[in-house]
Amino acid sequence: MKHVQTLLKQIGLKPERVQMFNLSSAMANRFVEAATAMTNVIQELGPNPLKISDE
Amino acid sequence: MIVAEQKPLAEIKALIGDAQKVLVAGCGTCVTVCFAGGAREAAIVAASLRMASKLDGNAKAVTDATVQRQCEWEYLDEIAEQVRDADLVVSLGCGVGVQAMTEHFPQKWIVPGLNTKFLGLPTEQGVWAERCAACGDCILGLTGGICPIARCSKNLLNGPCGGSEDGHCEINADVPCAWQLIYDRLSSMGKLDRLLEIQPPKNWRTARDGGPRKIVRPDLRLASEEE
Repeated sequence: MKHVQTLLKQIGLKPERVQMFNLSSAMANRFVEAATAMTNVIQELGPNPLKISDE
Repeated sequence: MIVAEQKPLAEIKALIGDAQKVLVAGCGTCVTVCFAGGAREAAIVAASLRMASKLDGNAKAVTDATVQRQCEWEYLDEIAEQVRDADLVVSLGCGVGVQAMTEHFPQKWIVPGLNTKFLGLPTEQGVWAERCAACGDCILGLTGGICPIARCSKNLLNGPCGGSEDGHCEINADVPCAWQLIYDRLSSMGKLDRLLEIQPPKNWRTARDGGPRKIVRPDLRLASEEE
């Protein structure tokens, strides 16, 4: 994951756009936490600049 | 194997400059097994360059192709069409691959995507270490299969220097002293007496010091080329 984040940084994208969370299928609360955390990160970062440059 | 490392993307971008159609050429041999320039790395570099150029507001057409060996002209014919269609080629081969492509496609601008580091082997997952300096006159038969040219920081031929401490080299505690390794190896094989023979100064003309090297094998030459 660190390697992918480094790649994103070199490309010019925020490395926080990709993250990995380890959890089992029995960890519903943890899943919600992770999904919420990731949603907040992405909302703060805004849309993917690669998609914006498509428009 | 030849061990190489990828250049930073910023450096590759600078080498590409204004070229619009770029081919990233991978090599399926040494740089594939050291995870620097194989098919997977070529695809990642190509995708990274596509995304980075798009973000820079100048989306380039970057494709990738990998041959079995960039260091033999015959294999390069397989990607001749892609090379012809590109403005510039980023070679993810070693320094030999880059030059083989330059010689085979003289009309094309070829730039290196890797830094070629050394001849070595993987010692553990994700770690490669130098083992051979290609000096052209192998002395491994005298030193128990451990090379003091590649592995002793001073290329010493007759035992360690004063900087050998607890089996490590003075340049870095992570570097084993080659002469300690040689001593331990010969000791374990009961061949320590081999160290009693003093080695004369090495003839470095067989190494890089003698200029660019070449091997000609008359038994392999074609009659037509001999003429």
